[in-house]
Amino acid sequence: MLAHRRLVFAAIALLPLSIMPAGAQTGPAKGEPIYLGVSGPLTGPNAQYGAQWKQGFDLALDEINGSGGIKGRPLAYIFEDTQSDPRQSVAVAQKFVADKRIVAELGDFSSPASMAASPIYQRAKLVQFGFTNSHPDFTKGGDYMWSNSVSQADEQPLSAAFAVKRLGLKRIAVLHLNTDWGRTSKDIFVKAAKEYGAEVVATEGYLPDEKDFRSTIVRVRDAKPDGVMLISYYSDAALIARQLQQAGLKLPIVAASSVYSPKLIELGGDAVEGIFTASRYFPEDPRPEVRDFVAKFKAKYNKEPDAFNAYAYDTMILMAQVMRESGIDRQAIHDGLSKVKDVPSVIFGKATFDPKTRRVAGAMSVDLVVKDGKFTIYQGGPVVR
Amino acid sequence: MSSWFDYTVNGLIIGNIYALLAVGLALIFGVSRLINFAHGSVYVVGAYAGFLAVTQFGTPLPLTIVIVVAVGALLGLAIERFGLRPLQGYAHIAPLLATIGISFVLDQLVQLTFSPDPRALPSELLQKRFQIGSGTIGALDILIAAIGIGSAGLLYYFLRFTRLGWAVRATAQDRDAAQQMGVDVDAVNRTVFAIASALGAVSGLLVGMYYNYIDPSMSFQATLKGVVAQVVGGVGNVPGAIAGSMLLGLVESYGIALFGTSYRNLFAFILLIVVLVLRPNGLFASRRQTPPEPMTGTFIAPSKPVQISPRTLLAIALAAALLPLVLPNPYVLQTLTNAWLYGLLGLSLTLIAGTVGLISLGHAALLAIGGYASALLSLDLGMPVGLSILLAGVIAAALGTLLVFPSFRLRGHYLSIATLAIGEIVSLVILNWDSLTRGPIGVSGIPPLSLFGFELDTDRSVYWFALGVLVVLAALQFRLLRSHLGRTLRAMRDDDIAARSYGIGLDRYKALAFAVGSFAAGVSGGITAHLYSYINHETFNSQLSILALTIVILGGMGNVTGAILGSVLLVGLPEVFRVAAEYRVLIYGIVLLLLVRFRPQGLLGTV
Repeated sequence: MLAHRRLVFAAIALLPLSIMPAGAQTGPAKGEPIYLGVSGPLTGPNAQYGAQWKQGFDLALDEINGSGGIKGRPLAYIFEDTQSDPRQSVAVAQKFVADKRIVAELGDFSSPASMAASPIYQRAKLVQFGFTNSHPDFTKGGDYMWSNSVSQADEQPLSAAFAVKRLGLKRIAVLHLNTDWGRTSKDIFVKAAKEYGAEVVATEGYLPDEKDFRSTIVRVRDAKPDGVMLISYYSDAALIARQLQQAGLKLPIVAASSVYSPKLIELGGDAVEGIFTASRYFPEDPRPEVRDFVAKFKAKYNKEPDAFNAYAYDTMILMAQVMRESGIDRQAIHDGLSKVKDVPSVIFGKATFDPKTRRVAGAMSVDLVVKDGKFTIYQGGPVVR
Repeated sequence: MSSWFDYTVNGLIIGNIYALLAVGLALIFGVSRLINFAHGSVYVVGAYAGFLAVTQFGTPLPLTIVIVVAVGALLGLAIERFGLRPLQGYAHIAPLLATIGISFVLDQLVQLTFSPDPRALPSELLQKRFQIGSGTIGALDILIAAIGIGSAGLLYYFLRFTRLGWAVRATAQDRDAAQQMGVDVDAVNRTVFAIASALGAVSGLLVGMYYNYIDPSMSFQATLKGVVAQVVGGVGNVPGAIAGSMLLGLVESYGIALFGTSYRNLFAFILLIVVLVLRPNGLFASRRQTPPEPMTGTFIAPSKPVQISPRTLLAIALAAALLPLVLPNPYVLQTLTNAWLYGLLGLSLTLIAGTVGLISLGHAALLAIGGYASALLSLDLGMPVGLSILLAGVIAAALGTLLVFPSFRLRGHYLSIATLAIGEIVSLVILNWDSLTRGPIGVSGIPPLSLFGFELDTDRSVYWFALGVLVVLAALQFRLLRSHLGRTLRAMRDDDIAARSYGIGLDRYKALAFAVGSFAAGVSGGITAHLYSYINHETFNSQLSILALTIVILGGMGNVTGAILGSVLLVGLPEVFRVAAEYRVLIYGIVLLLLVRFRPQGLLGTV
């Protein structure tokens, strides 16, 4: 991903400490670029997500700037590394707020880092657009906090319906990341699954850096489930699937949409064969925005995009649309977000904000199953692994 | 019943993995009395070396292992030669810090080279599995056990029956005496680092294959578990380290069985504390072993502090107070506000670690206690914010002292490890005690800072508030250091036996100092919570504890001005290096290493 970084050298007279923006990119559109500030992890334990964001952003910018940018001016971003650490995200927030070129901010990644910076953005009336912030309280930080992250209140009932109604599971064991995201998702999933008439026989929360699940699996086995629900990221889902296989436990596995990544198959090998998941988009999806996104992504990076690539891409396209329609100053973007309608989106099909919650409802959902080492659309049929 | 058999097998399998790490750590500790925090990084390098060999050149497993052993050994030699040998004769704290710096550098180099994405490390050879109980174990489990036991056997032979092995043991017993008897201590050190690092690298490879998963950030957990395992078994004791690893694996597995997955590490760390308090030499230490070296005094570099006149300090404080009027840049003010808050943390640790000599590696826990206390008092009980911050300091002082009290009989490294464990325990309790702390969801909507009903909602007012609190507490600490009490604390640090013979009740004075120090940290955590408006168990993580220690050492142990200078530099430097984006942490690590090398007593010297 380093190869795709270009530095823009711009003189900033404002600050004694700051020097130049990193990661900004310019295209054929001419003139002074319009800048978005990105606050996210480029180093530290979450660095992989920052790297995925950049790929998504850069792809979207190629497209936006290739077709004239924003009213003829190129769109660019300044990526400040925070390691997803609140101490650094608040400093970055002040930096962005003071930098008059920044018209809106994207990020941060983790909830502590993002929500610690919210009061600063709110006070300065600069939009903080948390595109991976599913924490239910994120947009409650103020009317300048917006998010197009898929709400778990939307997603988890769909997963529950898939597991209970379509796959016919009756006794479900839930393994979830013990983070704000994992916990919120688990609570909603459990509630929905019960409403659909299934029983949740075990819930096990695990820490994000956990690698060994053998004993957890014994606990799950002893609860005698007829299926396992994973509220995980792709890396832990792959680890759990492998260890389930090694324990000889042949249960149907349903996983949250966050496992949708080529990495799941790379890391899980034949152990992830037969895993069910839902995805917001799917390469063979006939929608033009999806086809377009996947084809361009493959051409540029020579690999399949994953969910975080798609979130970042969608977000950049959305911001460009808002700026084209409403203008390029901070207030115009804030106002524009509530007005913008039906922006083509990989994740949502068409994205429109609810001005009250400042979130987007109605993410797309495709039921998938891993078959022969590939995600394929689930057509019904046997559930046994 | 069959489940218990499965839990036992699982515990032993995971213990097996810890053992590979713990043996290397134990070897190094045995010879150089050093907890090698870079061990996890060597493990990561080993995993990636194996990954490169397998995926790029398609090497078969035996050859891969040979390559990884070579890479690990060379890396060990390099760490010893360039990182640690120049620090010989320095206080014990210097090499400890150097290993932390080295681990930053190595982890970052791996991440820059291979990208932070996790990778698969396939091993087609080893897919065969055997039925045991109602689970299975794989060929790889057996290989890991074989390599663990095999290397322990080889080590035993080496240490018992070869001349170099004798030299290693002689050096471990008494470095100076060995040197006088003509033992080439440097060669011994080199050998040990090469062997231990080769082991560490191989364990990275095997664990990577075991999970079919490697990523650059797995080093910290590896170091942590290895350290716990070897301390449980008895530091520096190789067979003890293996036994300790097995015990750790079993305790974790049974912990999951009884209470559920999210309690796993809680049991690991509680085991550690219990062992440390009841049997500080580890469960498997032989009676004849000499008691742990009294680290107080020798642990910290004595030096003459840089004298700064009170007038100059006053002028600097005044300049800091006037800064927002001259330079109303919110980014600079925010960064400095952070620095003042970390300065409070530094004050706290410099008193506890520098003046009293209790090197705490879990100081972030005090911030967390303070932060949660103030957040919950103001949110749930509607207490005014100023009062809640004050109470947060008191609660942190009380709770912190209570938690650490049983560990006061420990010294040097042992105390550090105990505080590390206490820090992890606090964070895990916050995560699991849902009804009070809201678990992983965290506490949101924390009211902003306010004082006597006036909301501090500008960057300036927050800056002045943090600076004011810092100046007041720093002035009190100056006063304390110059008092009878301050002299008593330093006397305990420099020679606790002499201090005790003067009739000083060590535990009481330690507790007193810890309470005073914890108050500052608790207040800092409280202010931070209101500043951020949202905290969860990750806000005050273990990296913060390392940062706190670095601040204190950078400034000079026990040095109040030094702690503040240290925090300004350590909060400011990463901001200055922002231009370097991905390379920032790398530069930070290198700066840390240079500092330890050329100014081990800290910028302003030990008080």
